[in-house]
Amino acid sequence: MIAFESVLVLLAVGLPLLYPILALRAGWARVLRYSMPVLPLPALVLALATEPGWQLELPWLLNGGLWAMDELRRLFLLLTAVLWAVAGIYAVGYLGAHYLQRFCVFWGLTLAGNIGLTVAVDAGSFYSFFALMTFAGYGLVVHEGTAEASHAGRVYLVMAVLGEMAILAGLLLASAAADSQMLSDLPPAIAESPRRDLMMALLVAGFGVKAGLPLLHFWLPLAHPVAPTPASAVLSGAMIKAGLLGWLVTLPFGDIALQGWGTLMLGAGAVGSIGAAVLGVCQQRPKAVLAYSSISQMGLMVLMVGAAMADSERAPVLFSVIALYALHHGLAKGSLFLSAGMSLPAGRIRRAAVWLLIALPGLSLAGLPFTSGALAKLAMKEGLAEDKLDFALGGYLSPLMTAGAVATLLLVLRYFWTLSGTLQTGRNPPMLAAGWLMAIGVSLMAFWWMPWEVEGLVKSPLWLPAPYQLWALIWPMLLAVALAGLTLWATRVVRHR
Amino acid sequence: MTLNAWIPVFALMTSLVAALVIFLLPEKGYRLRTTVNLGAALVKLGLVVVMVWGVFRGVDYGLSFTMVPGVTFVLKADALSMMFAGLSAVLWLLTTIYAVGYLEDSPNRSRFFGFFSLCVASTMGIALAGNLFTFFLFYEMLTLSTYPLVVHRGTEKALRAGRTYLIYTLSGGAVLLLAIAWLHGVAGDLPFREGGHFIDADPEIHRSLILIFILLVAGLGVKAALFPLHGWLPQAMVAPAPVSALLHAVAVVKAGAFGIVRVVYDIYGVEASSALGVLEPLAWLAAFTILYASVRALSQVDLKRRLAFSTISQVSYIILGVSLFGPVAAAGGLVHLLHQGLMKITLFFCAGNYAETLGIHRIDEMDGVGRRMPGTSLAFTIGAFGMIGAPPLAGFITKWVLGSGALAAGMDWVIAVLVLSSLLNAAYFLPILHRLWFREPQASWPEERFWGRLETSAWLFWPPLLTAVMTVMVGVLASLPFSPLSWAELIVLREYSP
Repeated sequence: MIAFESVLVLLAVGLPLLYPILALRAGWARVLRYSMPVLPLPALVLALATEPGWQLELPWLLNGGLWAMDELRRLFLLLTAVLWAVAGIYAVGYLGAHYLQRFCVFWGLTLAGNIGLTVAVDAGSFYSFFALMTFAGYGLVVHEGTAEASHAGRVYLVMAVLGEMAILAGLLLASAAADSQMLSDLPPAIAESPRRDLMMALLVAGFGVKAGLPLLHFWLPLAHPVAPTPASAVLSGAMIKAGLLGWLVTLPFGDIALQGWGTLMLGAGAVGSIGAAVLGVCQQRPKAVLAYSSISQMGLMVLMVGAAMADSERAPVLFSVIALYALHHGLAKGSLFLSAGMSLPAGRIRRAAVWLLIALPGLSLAGLPFTSGALAKLAMKEGLAEDKLDFALGGYLSPLMTAGAVATLLLVLRYFWTLSGTLQTGRNPPMLAAGWLMAIGVSLMAFWWMPWEVEGLVKSPLWLPAPYQLWALIWPMLLAVALAGLTLWATRVVRHR
Repeated sequence: MTLNAWIPVFALMTSLVAALVIFLLPEKGYRLRTTVNLGAALVKLGLVVVMVWGVFRGVDYGLSFTMVPGVTFVLKADALSMMFAGLSAVLWLLTTIYAVGYLEDSPNRSRFFGFFSLCVASTMGIALAGNLFTFFLFYEMLTLSTYPLVVHRGTEKALRAGRTYLIYTLSGGAVLLLAIAWLHGVAGDLPFREGGHFIDADPEIHRSLILIFILLVAGLGVKAALFPLHGWLPQAMVAPAPVSALLHAVAVVKAGAFGIVRVVYDIYGVEASSALGVLEPLAWLAAFTILYASVRALSQVDLKRRLAFSTISQVSYIILGVSLFGPVAAAGGLVHLLHQGLMKITLFFCAGNYAETLGIHRIDEMDGVGRRMPGTSLAFTIGAFGMIGAPPLAGFITKWVLGSGALAAGMDWVIAVLVLSSLLNAAYFLPILHRLWFREPQASWPEERFWGRLETSAWLFWPPLLTAVMTVMVGVLASLPFSPLSWAELIVLREYSP
């Protein structure tokens, strides 16, 4: 069945890549709009229906192309395809006539880059797709054409170009050291190279721009909120993960334990997860709060990346946890972003129902039991358990994760608070509502079928946490609610004076 | 003599004959002139394709005869000549099409197209020259045939630019002649030979060889626009767009760069050049030119002037690649001979389209042009991203191969130059792209003309799109046989193991 997968992967990349051709004729605007949800479908089939392990050689491509699939990439591809599909459905209802064709062109190109980079395993095509996603993404960020969007776009572009250059230099050095164009040959070569630290610095920083690493994150809270809502969802849900994937496939993890780099990443993760929360709760606009929440969540993933660097034996397990966490966060965050563009229905009960649906992915993010968030948080907790890790800073991880959990819910509550001030009453276009419902549905349900039993981290039955785990999940949430309540009360008091 | 000896001559003659016929044609003979022009371009392209196939299989093309004792006229096709001849043949065809549309209804078209063909004949001669003397003949013919093109408009500004151009290039030519004569005195009449001549040179002539090398590079560096000999190029952009396109992409600057490649590889030999210690300073000079010209490009407000500084920067990539001692870097430099040509000609075609269709010359007039001229703007976007080195376009392949080669040669500082240059390229191209696609257009264009269904005349519309497609293809399909990269690797294989 090699042919089937090859055709499918070519279709998965080619369809969104060629889709902009539809923009050639002004009369095809409707086709352009209504085919948006179709674009990621081949990629979705590829992620769901094929077994990892296939590969497709494209010897004529760049310096020799190779596309392939493994378990890690499959999860990233699944996230990418699902999120772009539901955001595409949403976009059909969301988009106005304002430069519709231009938006669709950049949508297709960005999607092609995002899908392509998850299947490319040679340096040339991986970097090509990464750059395509980055540069085409600019069109999504500045789409609204406001002064704010232009400013955000400029910052985005400057940071993106700097990031691209760091990645280029890093990949060049690494592939020269490895004497190979294949990504899988790079990590061992980096581990042994005398210029290891330089290469790692370039790659960590280059992909870190995309992943919102602290100090490289400036563009993110500007760019994610100003984009049209479906674009915000894929920016914060899927594209941000491309940076994470970049780290996982280029840096040496299983080859060598790098205490120094691990410590650095742990520090960055701690600063990211807590610092972004502090800044985030001060934001006035719902999408800005969400953008900071993304940085904060990425901070937790950076923690795991750091742990995997410091403890090479633990790396394979942590990889799975990172991928599942990324999947959970991408879907939940995408749903939350899509909620920001909704209108509330009239009528008390229906209003309450919509609010419940808005709230569930947020609470899932915070680790509500019986959601993907609970599993993700538990898997992370087990994965980073002190007694299983073999390095100096292991003891700090547990309190950090707890603080992260508190921060997560605080941000989510802040989001609800700001959102309640901006949501208007009205009717939603049917496609918009459909996309939103599907996003929430997938975010809440998809995890049931995910391979959570990584190395026995999370015991079956999957979705039912043991009582001691339940408590571990709930007490940070209670703390966050108490804090939020206290703040609310304090504001009231101050206002009364 | 066999047919194979005559094919290079035919390739040369097609353009020469075309030039003569066009000079004789009356000004009004529009149809016949266009037919002759395009016919000659197609014939030449056919001959080059035949030679490329032949050279690939190892056929010898060439002839030589003695002019005066000790001085021979040699025409020869090797892998390196075919790189330049191929570039010239493909882009001449497209530029002819473009020029026919561009000069519609303007005066003195016979003169223009006559010199235009003569100019292409010279580049063909430069490509096929088999020794320095023959090279020099065509090199100077190129100078003389491009001058009337630069001053074609006859304005005072054009005449001034033409004067600067002549002063620079003729002085360069004089230095080059001096160097060639000196070399002839030292070593006799040297044919271009893969591997060069001076690998076992007598240590006593080392000093002379170094000095001659400096003179040769100085003479050739004028046309290649090496710092500090680049001053003529930004001025020469007053020429009509097809001339700029040809000057920047194919003929003049490339002739200089190609000459330096010939000197390093086929006269001195890359190992001898390296042993003489002349390569590293050349690499530093090229690197400095790359960065200096990019910085200068940042502050230009005229589109063609910005592109001119970009050319200065990009041509030095070729020289940088050649002067890094190592086969991979050499392939990176050589492939840029073609890549830069494709990308830069796209950009100049587009600049010409903007000027002809909307009267746009300055960058701040380009707001929202993407809506009015999407095809041209798409081509411009691809060309600009290629220049930045964004994958998977032509410029990326250059940068990747050049970077890998530099690392293999132990010249790590080159990576920093490449990255800095890309950043600068991004800094002066991306703002233009933002204007094209994301700014609202101003109320009216400076000088708008209409051509029916397409955004501009069909003669102007298709050439940039075609070169843009080629810019994408040579990047994406870089590993196919007969791609520019594969051909550059073939050249290097033959140069490094003659």
